[in-house]
Amino acid sequence: MKSISLYVDRESFVHDVDPITKLIYILFAILVPIILPSFTVSFICVGISLLLILAAGVFRKTLPIFGFVFLVLITVVIIQGLFRPENETVLFQIGPFAMYQEGLHYALKITLRVVNIVGAFMILVLTTKPSHLVESLVRKGMSPRIGYVIVSVFQIIPEMMASMSTITDAQRSRGMETEGNLLVRIKAFLPLLGPVVLGSLINTKERAMALEVRGFNSRTPKTYLNVEKTYAYSKGIQALLLLLIVGAVAWRIFL
Amino acid sequence: MIKVSNLSFSYHKAEGPVLSGINLEFDRRSTAIIGQNGAGKTTFVKLLKGLLKPDEGDILIQNHSVKLKTAAELARTVGLVFQNPNDQIFKRTVLEEAMFGLLNIKMGRHTAENQAIKALKLVNLDDKLEMNPHDLSLSEKKLLCIASIVAMDPDIIILDEPTIAQDHAGKKIISQIIKELAEKEKLVMTIIHDMDFVAENFERTIVFNEGKVLLDGETRDVFAQKDILQEANVEAPGITQLAEKLGFEHTILTVEEFIKAVK
Ligand SMILES: Nc1ncnc2c1ncn2[C@@H]1O[C@H](COP(=O)(O)OP(=O)(O)OP(=O)(O)O)[C@@H](O)[C@H]1O
Ligand SMILES: [Mg+2]
Repeated sequence: MKSISLYVDRESFVHDVDPITKLIYILFAILVPIILPSFTVSFICVGISLLLILAAGVFRKTLPIFGFVFLVLITVVIIQGLFRPENETVLFQIGPFAMYQEGLHYALKITLRVVNIVGAFMILVLTTKPSHLVESLVRKGMSPRIGYVIVSVFQIIPEMMASMSTITDAQRSRGMETEGNLLVRIKAFLPLLGPVVLGSLINTKERAMALEVRGFNSRTPKTYLNVEKTYAYSKGIQALLLLLIVGAVAWRIFL
Repeated sequence: MIKVSNLSFSYHKAEGPVLSGINLEFDRRSTAIIGQNGAGKTTFVKLLKGLLKPDEGDILIQNHSVKLKTAAELARTVGLVFQNPNDQIFKRTVLEEAMFGLLNIKMGRHTAENQAIKALKLVNLDDKLEMNPHDLSLSEKKLLCIASIVAMDPDIIILDEPTIAQDHAGKKIISQIIKELAEKEKLVMTIIHDMDFVAENFERTIVFNEGKVLLDGETRDVFAQKDILQEANVEAPGITQLAEKLGFEHTILTVEEFIKAVK
């Protein structure tokens, strides 16, 4: 079965770090450039994320995602460069359009922020199994019900995709045309949604009963299937990241 | 009617072929396809139906290559009843479900309704026309799926595990439908694990094993080959084995034959 998670199974120290530390890293990468809005800080944060992505050996997987993000950001650059109200200094001219320095400056700031946030999330998403992340959160006190909901999304969506394709096959077998131009495809696609959704609702009901039978709602403390993976330095890294955030706040206030 | 030559297929290149080097010809004899789980039976019929495209080799159906047609175009010629009825059931009422394929092949509403009701009569569902198919029992759903294909009147009908969840009455209905279709000169092909049903209903039997055809011939001859059957992990029907153990000379397929031989 296809998986919708982007997790890449590799060996690297980034993979070994526990999910909670990665979550704190995301917090760090988002907060610090906001607290200290200088380009240097943003560049450093983006640089750290990139290094970690390279170290984890998942750089190629980030390319399509960054590609998509840049597509969106280009429009930001163009619009801000041309039309930002504060625009004064013309930087260069493309035909009849003038690009302004202030707008581009602002667009660069936005771009760095977005790349930074996306990069930090990518480290978590590409190097952590969803179930592992949820398990860590449950260990930290998140309700197992919410954990289950999150994990099951990762199971149900590929299941729905698989059942979509069998249902499509069954209807093609009865002469429903699904190949051809866009209109044919859309006309074929819409009525298929009903059975797919209905099927997954039926599955959900059965899953709920199966869970109940195995005592999911019992109030005794739950045990875990996997032994907790601890990374030797995670406490140290977490402390360092938090310290840096506090340090950034202090820097901002006192200097 | 169907000519399969040198057919190979794999879902993922890395995992190796699911089917390889298959050469088969089908005539109008009713045919059972048997073999262990994962032998490649369902994959084979999906290829016949044009739902999957061969990696190598070709399939000719009534002298036309399947490669050149979409599954939808093949619907008039080849009907396939899926293993799991929930994958097939699609409409809100039993009648509409049975009419769905007919309307797809551009039949008029009125004729479609008549054909559909006729097919539903065959499976005793003509008193439930307005019911929601999802409220039927599993065995009724399966029968509805069979009816919705039979209604389309294709020359070749493929059933994937029709006897799942059927009680004796259900099996009798299916057996009756297979007979009637054979009388109408249709090719009925069935994937099936119920060996008694195979022995009682099919003239020809093909044994698949690990993506290859291990045995192919008259059902009686196939069930006589005990050693090869064992290799494919299938067992002849109980009555056949009993007769063999008792030292009967000829291969027995049904209880009636057994009694006749004893008398
Ligand atoms: N959609 C798919 N993608 C990848 N592999 C598949 C797919 N469908 C089937 N397979 C694999 O192909 C092989 C043959 O499967 P197939 O469904 O044809 O077997 P079968 O003979 O119909 O078995 P059964 O008696 O259980 O229905 C199996 O190993 C199966 O895991
Ligand atoms: Mg099968």
